[in-house]
Amino acid sequence: MFFRLVSSSRTAVIGLVAVIGVTGAAFAGPIEDRQANMKNVGKAMGALAAIAKKEAPFDAAVVNTNATALADNVKEAKAHFPDGSETGDKETWAKAEIWQNKADFEAKADKSVEVAMQMAAVTDEADFGAALGALGATCKACHEDYRRPKE
Amino acid sequence: MAGGVAATAGWVIAAPDPLPASALKPHTASIENGKRLYTAAGCLSCHLPAKDNKQADMSLPSGGRVLKTPAGAFYPPNITPDTETGIGGWTGIQFINAVKRGISPDGRHYLPAFPYTSYSKMSDADVLDIKAYMDTLKPVQAENQPADLPLGLPVETAMRRGLGIWKIAAGFDPTEFVKDASKDDIWNKGAYLVQGPGHCGECHTPRDWAMAMDTSRWMAGGPHPEGDGKVPSLRNLKSRGRFKDAGDLATALEFGETLGYDKMSSGGMAAVQTNMSKLPAEDRTAIATYLMSLE
Repeated sequence: MFFRLVSSSRTAVIGLVAVIGVTGAAFAGPIEDRQANMKNVGKAMGALAAIAKKEAPFDAAVVNTNATALADNVKEAKAHFPDGSETGDKETWAKAEIWQNKADFEAKADKSVEVAMQMAAVTDEADFGAALGALGATCKACHEDYRRPKE
Repeated sequence: MAGGVAATAGWVIAAPDPLPASALKPHTASIENGKRLYTAAGCLSCHLPAKDNKQADMSLPSGGRVLKTPAGAFYPPNITPDTETGIGGWTGIQFINAVKRGISPDGRHYLPAFPYTSYSKMSDADVLDIKAYMDTLKPVQAENQPADLPLGLPVETAMRRGLGIWKIAAGFDPTEFVKDASKDDIWNKGAYLVQGPGHCGECHTPRDWAMAMDTSRWMAGGPHPEGDGKVPSLRNLKSRGRFKDAGDLATALEFGETLGYDKMSSGGMAAVQTNMSKLPAEDRTAIATYLMSLE
């Protein structure tokens, strides 16, 4: 009986945690969403950079998975900068210029997606370095104009 | 009356103090070294043509791109060797006084948005090499645009003279870099490049009450001078997990985000990193060696 009580309250706690987890995600604002989104981009880029830095072996499947994930996330990123999300409760590193030059901002994101898709198709190690250089240049172009510097 | 005397004394104290031509030693300029230091100093990055100037050649420092500072908006001038609108025809000593002392050929103080506070660490020989390289650039005829200061020209005139007071209050000390004999040549080369031409401290060192670099907090980071965001500290880069070693940082300086090094593009760092990528590899290694040693 005691065991059942503990067990059921444990289930209840787990259930509660799960509900909080889900609603937490659902109610997170665009700032949280885009920061989580950019973390995914960074993770994918990190896996690709590790290959270029010879910290990991070249593997076309790994390249494809990460380049595709990067492209999907950047594509999705455009939706995470709605009007009115210039500032919020959580500190954002997005610059006001994003909303002033929305067309250019989105064009830069599109370019990044396009280049990432090209990288996803790379099967020959000889083509990898140039593809990564082109992809990183699109990260740099957008961060140069649209991200505030942070510690 | 006393106020008048004080004001006059202030006006005199605030007068620019240029080096005389006789201070120069004979020098045979190296255009190649000049190009290297012109790149390390990021001259073009600030003296770019305006973004919307479609006719302009973006590889030439004909000036005009806005530089926002808390004091107002500045438009860095044309520094191509055009004799009418640029700096063509300047003598070596005029160039040195501009770059290392912040004094124009007509004897006015430059606003410290021009980082002569760091460039003063450079040797005369290196500065003359930069001039020799810049003299090979194509002259561009482009008129300079006055600064948008909140209160206009009379204030600018007073402020420019007032800059003489600022130079004193801020402890501006135009002495050249001195080697640290306890450190090796690579470290010293890096320290020179960072403190002098690279002028890294202008953004990475917080400023004191006089808006001068607070050298007691050298490279400790702080608010961005253009007013948006934070500049990272360059101290303890290894123990903070930012870079594994000097080789890692040198790679970051060479490739930036093209190798996934985040935080190498924002707040003006993209232009800096692009410049660093064009330096000889041993310069990047030296810069990284010096920076990784900062605790």
